[in-house]
Amino acid sequence: MTTEVSAPLPLPNELTKPFWEGAAKGQLVIQRCNACGHLQHAPEPVCSACLSFDLGSAAVSGTGTVYTFCIATQAFHPYFEDKLPFVIAVVELDDQPGLKMITNIVDVDPDSVRVGDRVGVTFNLLGEGFMLPVFRPIA
Amino acid sequence: MSKKNRVAIVGVGYSDVGRATGLSLTKLTAQAGVAAMEDAGLKPTDIDGLVTHSFPNQFVSSTHTAAMLGIPDLAFYSGNVDGAAYSVAAMHAIAAIESGSAETVLTFRTVHKAGQGGETFRGGGGPQTIPGNMQLAMPYGSIAGPHWAGMYMTRHMAMYGSTEEDFGSFAIAQRKFAVANPTESFFHEELTMDDYLNSRYIAKPLHLLDCDYPVDSSSALIFTTEERARDMKQKPVFFDSWANGTTKEADFSLVEDMTHSSPWMASRRMWSRSDLKPKDVQTAGLYDGFSFIAMQWLEALGFAEEGGSGAFVRSGATSATGSLPTNTDGGACNVGRRHGANFFIEVTRQLRGTAGDRALPNNPKVGVVSNAVGGFAACALLTAD
Repeated sequence: MTTEVSAPLPLPNELTKPFWEGAAKGQLVIQRCNACGHLQHAPEPVCSACLSFDLGSAAVSGTGTVYTFCIATQAFHPYFEDKLPFVIAVVELDDQPGLKMITNIVDVDPDSVRVGDRVGVTFNLLGEGFMLPVFRPIA
Repeated sequence: MSKKNRVAIVGVGYSDVGRATGLSLTKLTAQAGVAAMEDAGLKPTDIDGLVTHSFPNQFVSSTHTAAMLGIPDLAFYSGNVDGAAYSVAAMHAIAAIESGSAETVLTFRTVHKAGQGGETFRGGGGPQTIPGNMQLAMPYGSIAGPHWAGMYMTRHMAMYGSTEEDFGSFAIAQRKFAVANPTESFFHEELTMDDYLNSRYIAKPLHLLDCDYPVDSSSALIFTTEERARDMKQKPVFFDSWANGTTKEADFSLVEDMTHSSPWMASRRMWSRSDLKPKDVQTAGLYDGFSFIAMQWLEALGFAEEGGSGAFVRSGATSATGSLPTNTDGGACNVGRRHGANFFIEVTRQLRGTAGDRALPNNPKVGVVSNAVGGFAACALLTAD
């Protein structure tokens, strides 16, 4: 018997909701402190730069640099078994030094990815209407 | 650092260890606790402190453990806190003794093989929803330790030009010690570089042979004051200095600098609290949940140059006759996942002269141990008279 295996889906909360709602609209949305402008990811209840609780979110440029990556060759979850090999990466976004996110690098031969590659955001359907912000090489 | 009121390790013990022992977490814990008390020559009534740090969802409480082992009254106890693997229990015990909150503290790390994260997702069923910040990693397939570990290795390779062979050199060197430890090691054949490079990738560049070996295990150590330790069965091994370190990012994948993560903070703090220098250290037990972790510690602790851990290992420095025999039990990659407790136990055995057939030719009196990497780490300098 074959059954469709579902993706591990996010359970959005107050903090992550803007990220997922932005993605559904084709935007990369990151938590932004209304008091000092600091961008932070993952989102938290307080700004780690100024300790303000007045937090909002902002659509960011969607461009960045590959800080590091690995090529997943074992799935650890059945959903990913037919997607191997794929690239898991940390991308440093252009909008603020050190602002990083975990993502995938797509539309590329995994073995050709290098640290320092320039990448831009794109969106893949994850399932149940969720869009996943992922990155692909840009010039 | 003042040498007054030092804390000593006076007893060590393991449970039965295996891939499928069929033993419960509580039985493993009981076995290790009894073994450590026997090693120290202590009775349950001699123990007044207990720390049981376990893996997430594999918790055995300190009060349950005390009741099980017939410890009548705890002046200090501590349970399922987070942090740098076994060292969290050790650091709690040391702090309790240094503060006078307890005198003799029994500590644990109990790990069940089945508890590793990957296996919990294999049950199938309907859609799985991911709460908390894990939802910002798991939908990308970033699920298990090998994923962040592989990313740390890639970053090191990009920054320093290190190679897969560099990481392989550590697995090979460590395996030599495992071969010399037939009773505790699960592996008895030396490794070649081809063996390493041909082992399958888990998260390229991370190979299977970079990973520790999941087992059911419990490890226990007993700590007490220097004054009490002097009268005990075993030659005491003292904490010269110890330190924790963390990064400002909690997520291992998002730390500011993967080649200079928490081991660097912990190392700086540890050395600042000691008169000892790296050249004084004669053996090391460096956490090897993944092989690169031990190599980051070689660099962070100042034994190898930054980026130069591969060259350091290939020079033979970490071998039994080298300047820094490292992971002389074979490490967790070979004796099984003990979450770092094995390094405290092995270095203790080497320093007090109870390492048997694998007693080091340099008869070490100063050793270093470390745990973890990334978001949190700990290390300690151990000495014997």
